[in-house]
Order: sequence, then structure tokens, then C-alpha cells
Amino acid sequence: MKLPISWLKDYVDFDDTVEGLSDKLTFSGTEVEGIIRVGSDYCGVVAAEVKAVERHPNADRLSVCEVFDGTDDWQVVCGAPNVAVGGRYPLARIGAVLKGGFKIKKSKIRGVESFGMLCAEDELGLSENHEGLMELPGDAVAGTPLSEILGPPEVILELEVTPNRPDCLSVLGMAREVAALYDTTVNYPDVSLVEAGAAVESATRVDVLDPERCPRYTARILRNVKIGPAPDWMRKRLEYAGIRPINNVVDITNYVMMECGRPLHAFDQSLLQEGRIEVRTARAGEVIRTLDDAERPLQPDMLVIADAANPVAVAGVMGGAGSEIRETTETVLLESACFEPDGIRSTSKTLGLSTESSYRFERGTDVGETEWASRRAASLMQQFAGAETAPGVIDVFPYPPAERNIVCRLERVNSLLGLRGSMNELLRCFALLGLPVVASDESFCTVNVPTFRGDLEREVDLIEEFARLYGLENIPERSPSGRIVKEANDRRVRALYACQANLCALGLNEIQNYSLVSPKLLDLFDGGKSKERETLPHPISADQSVLRTSLIPQMLDTLGKNHARQTHEAGLYECGKVFLHQADGQSPVEVERLCAGLYGPVGRERFDRRRPVAPDEMFLWLKGLFEGLMAAQNVGGWRLTPLENVFLEKGYAVQILLGDQPIGLLGVVNRSVRGAWRFNEPVGVMELDTNELLVHAFSIREIVAPGVYPPVERDVALVADCSLTHDEILRVIEQAAPKALEKVELFDLYEGETIGAGKKSMAYSLTYRSWDKTLTDEEANEYHNGVKRALRESLSVEVREG
Amino acid sequence: MNAEELKQLKEQALEETAEAGSNEALEAVRIRYLGRKGVLQEVMKGLKDQPPQDRPLIGQLANELKQELQAALTDKTAALEGATEGPETLFDYTLPGDWHSMGTRHPLSKITERAVAIFRSLGFTVAEGPDVETVYNNFDALNTPPAHPSRDMQDTFYLDNGDLLRCHTSPVQVRYMQKHRPPVRIIAPGRCYRRDTPDATHSANFHQIEGLYVDEQVSMADLKGTLSYFAGEMMGPGVKIRFRPHFFPFTEPSVECDFSCHVCGGAGCRVCKQSGWIEILGAGMVDPNVFRAVGYDPERITGYAFGMGIERIAMILYGIHDIRMLYENDVRFLKQF
Repeated sequence: MKLPISWLKDYVDFDDTVEGLSDKLTFSGTEVEGIIRVGSDYCGVVAAEVKAVERHPNADRLSVCEVFDGTDDWQVVCGAPNVAVGGRYPLARIGAVLKGGFKIKKSKIRGVESFGMLCAEDELGLSENHEGLMELPGDAVAGTPLSEILGPPEVILELEVTPNRPDCLSVLGMAREVAALYDTTVNYPDVSLVEAGAAVESATRVDVLDPERCPRYTARILRNVKIGPAPDWMRKRLEYAGIRPINNVVDITNYVMMECGRPLHAFDQSLLQEGRIEVRTARAGEVIRTLDDAERPLQPDMLVIADAANPVAVAGVMGGAGSEIRETTETVLLESACFEPDGIRSTSKTLGLSTESSYRFERGTDVGETEWASRRAASLMQQFAGAETAPGVIDVFPYPPAERNIVCRLERVNSLLGLRGSMNELLRCFALLGLPVVASDESFCTVNVPTFRGDLEREVDLIEEFARLYGLENIPERSPSGRIVKEANDRRVRALYACQANLCALGLNEIQNYSLVSPKLLDLFDGGKSKERETLPHPISADQSVLRTSLIPQMLDTLGKNHARQTHEAGLYECGKVFLHQADGQSPVEVERLCAGLYGPVGRERFDRRRPVAPDEMFLWLKGLFEGLMAAQNVGGWRLTPLENVFLEKGYAVQILLGDQPIGLLGVVNRSVRGAWRFNEPVGVMELDTNELLVHAFSIREIVAPGVYPPVERDVALVADCSLTHDEILRVIEQAAPKALEKVELFDLYEGETIGAGKKSMAYSLTYRSWDKTLTDEEANEYHNGVKRALRESLSVEVREG
Repeated sequence: MNAEELKQLKEQALEETAEAGSNEALEAVRIRYLGRKGVLQEVMKGLKDQPPQDRPLIGQLANELKQELQAALTDKTAALEGATEGPETLFDYTLPGDWHSMGTRHPLSKITERAVAIFRSLGFTVAEGPDVETVYNNFDALNTPPAHPSRDMQDTFYLDNGDLLRCHTSPVQVRYMQKHRPPVRIIAPGRCYRRDTPDATHSANFHQIEGLYVDEQVSMADLKGTLSYFAGEMMGPGVKIRFRPHFFPFTEPSVECDFSCHVCGGAGCRVCKQSGWIEILGAGMVDPNVFRAVGYDPERITGYAFGMGIERIAMILYGIHDIRMLYENDVRFLKQF
């Protein structure tokens, strides 16, 4: 809300700087989001009369004016389109300093001398308007300082009013806050009326057919109204508050709304059928043309203000064009009513129409001040629209709310806030806030809640009032302490953090992608199985309309984007949730996954990074990464089996099993999928169920003491068909070897012409070591020969000596 | 072997060393004289057959032989290496090192883990909850009025079955309290969703950390003390906090909490927009209605709750000006953490 300080000062007197006030408001719960300063003392700027205007000889858009400033005539060059002979405009004389320190000097503009500047509003700091010169009233006397015409500068506070404090959406509401903060009182404006003519009851009638949604409706009749502009000060205040002035009657209703928070509406009574009001819900098929000139179909659950036949306003939201105040209006029916918030909110939402009025009704208004607001507006209409107020008021208020008392215990205040406040402090706080205390002793007090504080319902609400007035800065800081919670357990999360640290140690950079993805992206990876996805019914955009079912698609996308930015290699991982769609309207099942992705020579040493990466290499890097991770997470008993998959290259795709349970996959992405990101090189991905990796993260295994006797190393090289696998060879070696075989390592793998097509050469280093003695060469040779024999016999491979 | 013979032996060994022209020849010399079955070993074995008065001298000579020969072998090895490498060219130690580098954590994970570690040191434990929540846990149990704007389809993502993507981590409070009796002291980091159109400061997908402490006699002074400790640990020593009254449906009294600027110490700078303070989190005393919703007696127990945006803290600490950078996953960005 925008609060002009001069307006505030009409009702509450306080002595402080703008900054001081702003701090006090912010630290008592109404945050000051901005301070706007409008105008200045306009030193050196006076009203001037333009006596003659001629085209500038050297510029089409400029004119040369003869300007009278009360004492002399001056030649002034001007570029504004609206300059006219006889017009009154602000003239910045030579020596004046305008907004931003802009100093006016005698100057030559395209060869013509100019003695001063005629000003637009923006140049004076009054608004952003630069469309033309600011036009002063025709009766402005040339030479009058502008400050005398415009009045003193204004300061406007931009307030953030929290949803629980609708009472602060008004100048008087803020005056109550300020009065409490500065220990002073609020001066309410005079609302006395001089009533004349026939009584209101004889002039109109009000029927409230839905008292639940309209708990109170008041109507006054004002006769002989003369429509015209509202006084300048009122127009200016409305503009400062962000409301466009229209005419005196409408402006007064808006002014009173800003003043006390009660939205009002003025009808031209002559335009109401039978001149009367019915508050009811809309009937099927009813339509209203609202003040903004839009045809709006009404729903049967919308509350309307109707005359004897048709809706004339959408209750609490906007009036109808058919009964609006016009220049010819003579008799005004002034509505001041109270509408129930939820109904207004839903009507406003359905119509897509939010107004100053609906904004306030949605948050709740003070039913108690309904009649006061009507009286206030009528009083202003008497003063500024020549109105005669019909005696009396129609006030339909069938069920006035019961008095509300809340008990507040001192002990509760102190224990919740961590204070040792006294009952006197508590009572003083309530007194400052204008909350009457109807009973009290040393341990409790009872507060009678005024209607303007509808938000106060419970003891804790009063405690909050005390806290904000006592000052949150006065609440002590107590050192952290508390009972240890024995059964609390967050091992899973700690294991996850450790797992992520391991992935970093393995050289991968962590990424985070959105949980929401584009269905098009998923199509590449799941063959377009859109029924197996959870799709949001109301996404922001198609790009983020599906909950991800795997981390791999976005991983590929991330790798691809980096590739497109000329980053030559990347090793990335992500840990996050995927969402598995369920049938029968169940919510999706959330599964934690871990995904890694590689491209470029990430596994190579520094001086070998230009050679193209082969899919074999990429696969083995990924597998090495996987093995390293499983070792770090204490996971044993896994195995890999070949996998057919839509996005992985055949032969370079495996499923990861733990026992017999699939827990993930790894492999090299096939050409058609990686082609979507213009990869001409292998890309590796892996995805695993994270939780399987966390189970043993903190398990402790007994170590195996390192052998103390010297090892004997023997190599064996063999030439085999390419189809023979490393696994098969290992199995034979392990079966044939004695206990003393400590380690088998593949140290060379070669395929090439020298050994023949379809063949490969593999060389293994075998380490033998006994636990209880030094092995002799003879013993080692015997073991090794056994291994070689087994290889020859079981696999029919050519074993080379070595 | 007497002393004289030993001296001769030394001369001979040094001569052979000088003459050796390759590493292999040098190794042969070493083995012949100093090896496990070498000449010197024989001398030492024979020492016991020498007259007792000669033994110290022979021992001393044998030791001399060993040391001088070792020195000579070392020098000769170096000389041979120098000869093959050419004169006076030292290794270029300025070449880039060659070892695979560590990966990096994502900034959001780093901030989360750091915050979690600080609260764990105060006795908080991590609690988790699903991203897909019920309307009850996300709104109703948290005292959010039925017509509250955040329930709107414009603000919250609903699924077809009426559940939603949680718009804050607060439903974890509800879930935890439903299952545990006080005392409760949890920290709940997690992903949240709001129907915000993405821009420099908004992301439909973001992260929060929620904290909750419930027991008998928990007060706002405890909240202040805990957040004050957190501020110093998270942002740097000397960082202070201040409370401003605010409004949240699930706490009362509610506050917004500012941290004094960790860059300028409160004097005013670009980071704190000259105010000396940075708004970091929302907090308050748990609303009695929240306790009632989970079956706690608000007369008997009290508690505080707080929540903060992880993106915001990461952006402030690392000087990131666009939230989308956190989800771009540009390797050049990631490697800086």
C-alpha cells in the first residue's frame, strides 16, 4: 500500500524523520519496501505565461517562445508539442537546479538563444510524464513560485501489509499503528452531517437476500449533488495512493476507502429500477457491463447488488456501467457494505477481475465501521459536491457479531518468548494498541477485541502483538541447548553425502537438473511410452510438463550442451529422485537414482588427449568408475549381464544386478541418440538405484593382513578367438590355481594382423604367494604350469611361454 | 684377510668402479663387493678368525671400504646418467602435473551439506519427505486457510489425482511429528516446486531447508540463539542476526530473519544493497493449530520452526546473479566449486 505521509499526519501527530518512522514500522511488522519522494521546493521555478510562439528557424520540432515570468519577457526555446500562446507552464529560470542536479543556464539551441526552460512533469520530479509541458491552471499568476501552486513536497511510503492485517490497508489503520509506536492518539475526522429533506426510508429500500455473504449493508441518499472535479488536495492524495481521480463523488468514495479501509460505491439512484437495492446471488444467464466497460457473464454463486430488475454491481468487486455516476447525476445512493471474504475472492478469481475493493474485502473488513464510513463519505459530499443528505441511514445488520474476549496469561507470554516481562508491560502494550483490557490481575488479563482487529482470535495472537511492540530486538538470544533425541536417525542421508563425496573423489562433477522435463526429451529414451509418465495437468510450459522417470535423458542433454559450448570433455554425476507413474490414481512412486555420464578423453593421462576415444575405452572407463564406486560403498555380489536397450549401443550395454535384482545399467549411448546432440564420439552413461549403494556405507569389514613372504610373479600370454571373454579365462585360471595364487592381472590386450584375423592376444601377470613360507621357484613353476595346462586344455588357446 | 690385503681390495674395487662403463657393470661391481654373498660379507664373516687385537682395525677398514665404495658407485651412476642426458639440462618442473583431478559438488549440495553439518552439531538430525505431497500435509495441517492464494492452481503444481508437488519443505514437519513424540529436533533439506515463471530470481524447482525444534519450554529466545549460532557458522564469524515481525500461517509469532552482511560487516556494500543486512530466512513459534493437527497438546509443548532458500544463500555467498545458472550445469561453472 502507498501511504502519503502528509495524509497520515492528518490523524496522528508524531515527531520523527521519514527514516525513523520507516524503521519503526518495519520492525513492528509493516515492512517499508520503499520511500518515494515527490516534488521539491522548486527553487527558481515559477509559473510563466507564454505570449508568443514561433517556429524555430533551424529545427522543425522546436519552437521559440516569448515567455513572461511576472517581471520580464524572456526568449525560451521549447521542444514540447503542447506549448500554446496564453498557456501557463512552469519556467525554470536561469540558475534553477532541477532533478538530478541539472542546472539551468543561458544557452544557444541550434543558433537561437534560450533564457530558461519550460518544464514537463518528469523534469520537475513529479512523475515520469514527458509527453509535454506541465500545464498549470489558467488562473496561475505569472511569477508565482511553483511551490506555492503545487504545495509542499510529499513523501510516500510503500508498505508491505501482511495478509493477517487488512486493517493496515488504510491510512487510519496505519495511524493506529503509528500512534501505538509513538505513544500518542489517533484523531478521527469529523463525520457530522446536516441532514435535510425526506428521510432515507421514504427514498429507497434495501433487501439483503443473502445475509451470510453480506452481513451488513448500509445505504444513504444524497440529493442535489453537483458533479465536478474533487478538490486538488484530494485528487493529489488519490494519485499518490495509486488511484486515478474521476469526479468528486467517485473520488470521495475512493478517498474514504483509502482513509478507513472500507470500499464504498456510489450509484446514480435515478438509474436504478425502482430506485432500490437487492443484495442477492446472480440468476442464471445474467450479464453485467462493469465500469471497465466489459460484458461479464455472471455465475449463480456470485453475489450481486441489483436494483428491482437487474444486477447493477458485482458485490465488492466492481460497479456496473449502467448505474455509474455521470455528469448529470443528482441523487446518489451511497453503499457502504460488508461482504464475506471467500465469496469475493472466488468471484474476483472467476471473473479475473481484481480491484482495490476486492483486494480489501478478500482480506476482511471491519464490520463495525461500515456506517461510520458512509457518514464520512456523506460529510465529504456535503462539503465538496454540494450534496444534501437525506435524514437517516438504512442499515441492514441482522446478526451483529458477539463481543470477543481473549484471556492472555503473563506466564504464557514469557515462556513462549523467553522473556521475563511484567504485567504492567503487557497492559501498556495493549493500551498503546487500543485494545481494551476488561479484567486483569497479576497473572492474566482479558482483552476485549475491537472489530477493526478481526485477526485477533487467540491468546497467541495477543502474544504476537506484545512481541512486536515490545521489540523483537529485546528478546534475548539463548545459547543453543536441548535434549538429545535418542531415536533420531539420519544414516541414510549421511551415507548419501558420503557416496557423493566418493563420486567426486572418482573425478566426477555433480550436476542438478530440474525434476520436470520435456516429454520430447523422454521420447528418445523410453520409446514414447507417455502413459508410463506422470504428466502435470497444468504445467508452466511443455518443456517442464512431465516428472522425470530417469536421470539419463537430462544427463545426455547436459553433456550435449557442454559439448556444444566447445567443452572437450566432461565427467558428471547427479543424485536425484525419479517419479514412477502408478495406475489407479495413486501418486507416483519416488525412487532415488544416481546417474553418471562421460564424454571426451576423461580417462586418459594428460599427454594423450587428442587421440579419438574408442567405445571400448569409454565402456571400460565407465565400468572402472562403477567398480570404484561399488568398492567405496562396500557393495559386493554385483554382476553385469548383456542388455538390449533403445538408447545404448549393442555390445556396450549391460544391466547391473545385485544378487538377482536389477539395480541399474551402464553402457555407451548409441549413434542415433547421441546424434541428437551432434556427438561424433562415444558417450557413456550409467544409472543406479541409489539406496542399494547406501546400505553398507557404514559397515565395517575385518581386514586381511598383508602376506609377509615374498611373492613370485609369472606371466602367461595366450592367443585366443576374439569371442573368448576375459571372464572365461579368469574362471579357468582361478580353478586351476592353488591357494597361493594371490592376484591375476591382465596387462596386455592386442588384436592385429600379426596374430591373424579374429584372434586376440592377452597377457596376464599372476602373483603367487604363500601365507606361511617363501615359495621356491620350483613350487611357483609347478603352479604356473598347472595354470597353463588348464588354459590349453579347457579353452583350446595357444599359450605362449613367458 | 689382513689390513694390507683389505687396503688393496679397496683400491681394486674403486678402480673397477671407475672403469665400469654401464649401469649393468656398476651393478656387477656392487654385487661382487657389497652383495649378500659379496667379498665384504666374507671379510666380516672371517673377522672372528683374526687375532682379537687386529679385529677393530680390520672392522674399521672394512667399514671404510663399504662407505667409500658406496659413494663411488653413487657418483659413477650419476655420471653415467649425466653422460646420456647431455650437459646441464635440468628437468622442466613447470610442466603441468598429471593426476586425475577431484570432481566437485554442486553449489546447492555444498550449501545444503554445510547447513546440515552446522545443525547436526547442535543435535538436529536430518528428516526427509516425498516431493509429491497431499494437500493435507502441505496446507491443511500447516494452518493454511482454505482460500489461501498459495493453494491456487496458479501457484502450486497439482497432479491429476489431487496430490501436489510440495511448495515448501514444511510438510516434513507434519510427517515427522505424526510419527514421533516430542522432543523433536529435525532439519529437512529438500526440493520444492512453485508455479513461478523462470527468471533471474525464480525457478519452478528450488530447494529449502526446514528446521523444527519441539519440546517443553522451547521459546523464541532459543530460536534466536540457534539462528544466531547458525549465522556465524554459515556466513562467517561476526555475522549477527535480527528479527522483523512477519506473518506465516504455520507460525505465530512469525519473523523474518536478516543476517548482517558477511562482506561489509554491516557498513553497506553492493551485496547487501547498502543496507548492511541481508534477508535470509523465515521463522517463528509453531502455531498451536499445527500442533493440534498432529495430535500434540499446545498447552504442554512449544516449538520453533524456520525455513530458508538454499538457492538464495548460494547466490549470495558465491555471487551468482541468475538462479538459472545453478541448473545450467556448465562444466566451467561447476569446476569452480
